[in-house]
Amino acid sequence: MRGCCAKGLRASIVAALMVLALYVGLIVSLFWFLDPATLKQTLLSERTVFSVKLSLMAATLATVLALLLAIPAAYALSRYRFPGREAAETVLEFPIIVSPAALGAIILIFFNNPLGAWIQENIVYFVFGFAGIVLAQFVTVLGLAVRMLKAAFDEVPVELETVARTLGASPRHGFFTVTLPLAKSGLIAAFILTWAKALGEFGATLMVAGSMAMRTETLPIAIFMKLSSADIEGTVALILVLVTIGLTALFTARRILGRAVHA
Amino acid sequence: MLEIDGLIARAGGFRLEGVSLLVGEGECHAVLGPSGSGKSTLLHAVLGTLEVAAGRVRLANEDITTLPVERRRLGYVPQQLGLFPHLSVRDNVLYSARARRVPEPEYRPLLDRLVEITGIGALLDRSIATLSGGERQRVALVRALAANPRLVLLDEPFTALNESLRRELWWLVKDLQRERGLTVMLVTHDLTEAFFLADDITVLIEGRQEQSGDKRTIFRHPASFAVARFLGLKNLFPATITACAEGRIIADCPSLGVTFRLSGEAPAGTPILVGLRPEDVALRDAEHPPREGERVVSGKARIIDLGAEAVMHLETTPGGPVVELTAGWRTLHRFRLEDGQAGVTVALPETEMFWVKAS
Repeated sequence: MRGCCAKGLRASIVAALMVLALYVGLIVSLFWFLDPATLKQTLLSERTVFSVKLSLMAATLATVLALLLAIPAAYALSRYRFPGREAAETVLEFPIIVSPAALGAIILIFFNNPLGAWIQENIVYFVFGFAGIVLAQFVTVLGLAVRMLKAAFDEVPVELETVARTLGASPRHGFFTVTLPLAKSGLIAAFILTWAKALGEFGATLMVAGSMAMRTETLPIAIFMKLSSADIEGTVALILVLVTIGLTALFTARRILGRAVHA
Repeated sequence: MLEIDGLIARAGGFRLEGVSLLVGEGECHAVLGPSGSGKSTLLHAVLGTLEVAAGRVRLANEDITTLPVERRRLGYVPQQLGLFPHLSVRDNVLYSARARRVPEPEYRPLLDRLVEITGIGALLDRSIATLSGGERQRVALVRALAANPRLVLLDEPFTALNESLRRELWWLVKDLQRERGLTVMLVTHDLTEAFFLADDITVLIEGRQEQSGDKRTIFRHPASFAVARFLGLKNLFPATITACAEGRIIADCPSLGVTFRLSGEAPAGTPILVGLRPEDVALRDAEHPPREGERVVSGKARIIDLGAEAVMHLETTPGGPVVELTAGWRTLHRFRLEDGQAGVTVALPETEMFWVKAS
């Protein structure tokens, strides 16, 4: 029996290392085409700097907007029973089951409807602009943000909010002094993972904002454009930039969460 | 003073039926009942976290039925205590004063006194995670009482503790209640806890208020079979009322071969259960003959050693009803009783007996 368990344990560890090897292997394979001169040239080019800045700005704005809506929505889904709750929870999976390209196409089609056209003419022009990039990323990451935040709020016992209210705290005061601090780790994790997903978003962005150099060229779109023009060395350089930013964000998230857990 | 009048509340598929009770100023009232009896539903209706379908809840003559939780001025200690893990002990006990923006000169004397009585002064700068079970209970009590509540609601807060610590905290609650004149509603399934802390008791079973009253009445005269069973009464014997006159019934109990004359009224022919607590059953022999008003039964004694005391089961006939008796070893020795001894006689004093309608 013990031998059987030990074998199972070894097999599961091997599986975990295989997952690591798969991703590390893919990243390492990039170095076969890495040319230091091209890397330096690509990193310092005005177009790359623009893409990085655009990606960082759009992902940050999309994440902040998504969280502003996701925090109250996730709290309501976690705490209350209301008509349409089940449907709202199901729709959170929508961006996962519908491919980003389809999602982008849906947004694009919406702006060709009378309501969408009115919004573009009277409020903000989204298609083929910065607002379109933010909107595409916002729509793609919103479901993920709500799902992660709901899980974080589910972890905070309702009883603590009840106690806070018996102690004289209004629901709002109880939320800000008890619920939100206790959901802090989940909130940080949601921010960073949502941001990382927005940063790497490609399909919806391409559909809504197009691929115009120095205008709507985010990092993933820049990678697509380099590859389309058969510039493998340039593609590798941009991929390394994106991977470095993404992994740094994820490692930072893990460190912050680790500190929050042990605090 | 808390007044609950005809309260009906629903929680999911559960329905609490018309509960009415009164908790006097400075008194402790225990709501007793098994799991699923409606204790928590009643507590949440009083707390204000559950909408009331009908009836009123009044506190200090103010109708609080629809008042928001934060404006009811209640002290609440839940089963899991509800201490805020991200705050220190000091921040936990100051939470109410800060939430209500009470100036320090107003809350400080009461808080200092509570800290002194409960002995948590040395814990104030500690985090909640570092506290022992007993320390957590004290902090939760101080936090609830520091808000100077009009009513304290205790929801089985001592369940997770060992016996000695529980008793220590029961005394602490009793002392605090006396000193501060606290009005307390305790929700529990623990009979000992309820009888230790409460003046009055309400027994809820399956959403119904089975009995309310002072604890001695409930202890000695349960109003129904459900209450008697919940209170764990052992000696219950089926009987039939053969006559009723002038506030007394005559009940024939064929299984014991005895006829009892008991207080109460019910039509002849009513099937009932007659009962007697094990500690009220008395041993009798030639040197200790039965007294007036006692009915005797005889049988074979089986003695169970419980350490400090013993329980005797008197088998009246093989396979027949068993009369349980609780007695000290000294008593058993005085009667020279041994396990398995036949021809042992016990007395059932009618003055201590109760009866309920058979369900």
